[in-house]
Amino acid sequence: MSDEPLIDRLAHELTPVSRRTALGDALVIGGIGLVELLLFLVLGGTRPDMPEAMGHAGFWWKLVSLGSIALTSCAVALLSLDPVRSPRRGLRLVLALVLLCLAAGWPIGAVLDGWPSLLNRLDWRSGVQCVFKMVLLSIPPVLGLGVLVQRGAPTDRNGTAWIAGLAAASWGAFVFVFACPIDDPLYIAVWYLVGCGAVSLLTRLALPLLTRW
Amino acid sequence: MRQVDLVPDTRANSSPDWGALMAAAQGGDASAYRRLLGQIQPWLRRYYARRLPPSMVDDAVQDLMLVVHEKRHTYDPARPFEPWLAAIARYKWIDRLRAMKAAPTHTLDEDIAVADHEASVTSAYMLEKLLDLLKPPQALVIRLVKLQGFSIEEAASRSGQTASLVKVNIHRGLSRLGALVRSRSDVG
Repeated sequence: MSDEPLIDRLAHELTPVSRRTALGDALVIGGIGLVELLLFLVLGGTRPDMPEAMGHAGFWWKLVSLGSIALTSCAVALLSLDPVRSPRRGLRLVLALVLLCLAAGWPIGAVLDGWPSLLNRLDWRSGVQCVFKMVLLSIPPVLGLGVLVQRGAPTDRNGTAWIAGLAAASWGAFVFVFACPIDDPLYIAVWYLVGCGAVSLLTRLALPLLTRW
Repeated sequence: MRQVDLVPDTRANSSPDWGALMAAAQGGDASAYRRLLGQIQPWLRRYYARRLPPSMVDDAVQDLMLVVHEKRHTYDPARPFEPWLAAIARYKWIDRLRAMKAAPTHTLDEDIAVADHEASVTSAYMLEKLLDLLKPPQALVIRLVKLQGFSIEEAASRSGQTASLVKVNIHRGLSRLGALVRSRSDVG
């Protein structure tokens, strides 16, 4: 079969394109994240005891941990939109970073003294609320990353979906840190993992279907 | 996995700078784009010919050219073009394999549903048996005119009979056939 008619058609339809760059995508998703954070702070989403909380190691631990996970996973996700780059190594790096953050939180306050105390510290009612809010705050970055994935050319759709979900989830959790009144590392480790895991899983399931190319 | 053909070997081509052609195409240069597509097409054909059934190669090549067109903005001219093309070709190849797996082929059933020709075969056989019972000149002209569609004149020239004799033989032969059918419940 001759491909000449197709080549002619494609050449005839050719229009100049603006090149996709990781830096350009980073500016787009960074802008979305920054606008979300500013709106959240301006609209009064912060916890009432913020000045006091800033003196606690637990507050800074979750802020730095989630911020570093969000930035790293977002960078990996954007790089994986290049067809020659796989996100698999980046995923392993982010997983190691998550474990490192959890390990760093342990000496800050995870001192267990029996099951009743453990259940009190987990506080499932607050935990469910936190998960719900984290999922809501993850929606803007998920949508932004979804558009960028659609425009890019990821050749490992599932890996890119995982890392994009993780990036959006950790950004949503990072923003929520300013509102969450609980700094207990055990509570953070459990409920933030549940929230981030749910967003990552949903993104992993939906994004490959929506961004097929 | 074999390394052969994983990345196009542009040294074998007379015009190797596919990256420059694609960069020009990104700027809207249609002639550069036409050259590029024309040059990558043989490589794509070889690539898929080694990995897909022959019947799928043409589709795969055309599909990939459409993808190259659609995703051309993702190529960075600062980097080599060949790995970019190879990565996309591999991705679409795996996609195609997944599609093949999702839509498995079915073996044909032995009992293929076709029209039943038994009645026609039986009728033809019985007619032949009845014609064998007629006089040969009558059977010959009935075959020529009624079965093969010749005109009276053509049948006359082929059978060596006059036109009027052909008509008479047909009439008598058909009458005889009718009588035979009525008299026999089972012929042969």
